[in-house]
Amino acid sequence: MSLLKLFLIFCKIGAILLGGGYVILPIMTSEFVDKRNLVSHDDIIDYFALAQSLPGIIAANMSMFIGYKLRGKWGAIIAMLGVTFVPFWCIVLLASVISTLINNPYIQGALWGVGVSVIALILLTVREMWQKSKKEMFFYTIFIMTLLTLLILKLSPIQTILLYTLIGVGYKKLREGKA
Amino acid sequence: MIFVHLFWEFFKIGMFSFGGGYATIPFLYHISQVYNWYSLEELTQMVAVASITPGPVGINVATYAGLKSAGIPGSALATVAEMIPSLFLVIIVSKLLRKFSDNFYVRSLIDTLKPISCGLLTAVAIGLLKAEINDIKAMILLAFLLLISWKSKKDPLFYILIAAIVGIFCKFL
Repeated sequence: MSLLKLFLIFCKIGAILLGGGYVILPIMTSEFVDKRNLVSHDDIIDYFALAQSLPGIIAANMSMFIGYKLRGKWGAIIAMLGVTFVPFWCIVLLASVISTLINNPYIQGALWGVGVSVIALILLTVREMWQKSKKEMFFYTIFIMTLLTLLILKLSPIQTILLYTLIGVGYKKLREGKA
Repeated sequence: MIFVHLFWEFFKIGMFSFGGGYATIPFLYHISQVYNWYSLEELTQMVAVASITPGPVGINVATYAGLKSAGIPGSALATVAEMIPSLFLVIIVSKLLRKFSDNFYVRSLIDTLKPISCGLLTAVAIGLLKAEINDIKAMILLAFLLLISWKSKKDPLFYILIAAIVGIFCKFL
């Protein structure tokens, strides 16, 4: 894979990345696993988990992980520049005409539809993560506790990640000691 | 001098914001009060524009804020500055992964992060379902999109385009 080709793929990913970073997982899976078979599905899930636990923007982190995996340091830099290329020019152009556009009913309609499709994509991603996960008690327990912590205790994502990383790794360490 | 400040402020956002694009908003609020780059009103408009244009929201907001502060060069600088901390971290973590992928702690960390990230994503989905799917039109569209995806997976762009067309069409009804 040449750096130019990598840049173009990430340009496309940046251009279709709508509704925040959460659709990055289905898009990455489609581009790098289903279409080109350059990265394994397990790697993509690992990167997604890591990208969320690092500071910064999830979609950009994920792009850089894949860029690095494919072409090392320069791959990561090219991925970073590629994924922001189209959005960058969209913002620059849109900033000048925004006030007139937002009042157009058809634009509003299209944005409403896009909002719904983003939810569908997120649900599909959750389903896929379930299908590909190891079907064991450890996964279910951490999953349920994470969800309850976020919904009921309303801890922030970073607090939740830190809490359950400690609990999960600690539990595995205890288990290892016994085995 | 503005470029030095701009770089430093957005570098800090990239270093200390966790958990997705909207996590950067408190930092941008702080910036609007310390510097005279944009007003609070402009900040809300920036977030709206960042949400509807393609690309990660957190990056788009940085692009827009940079644009407001110092034109297109400021825009490019803020965008890159926000991603530089991640760039280094990603490279370091990737190297460690290659070296230590058999290491007990690295393996259990990844095994633990998987159910956590699945939980985070599910919580986002539940929040969005509550906030956005509140009329019969939205429910039908969502059900329809899930139905066509159940049997065969397609390019995400396919669902986004169909939904946008349906959204425009609804305005004619």
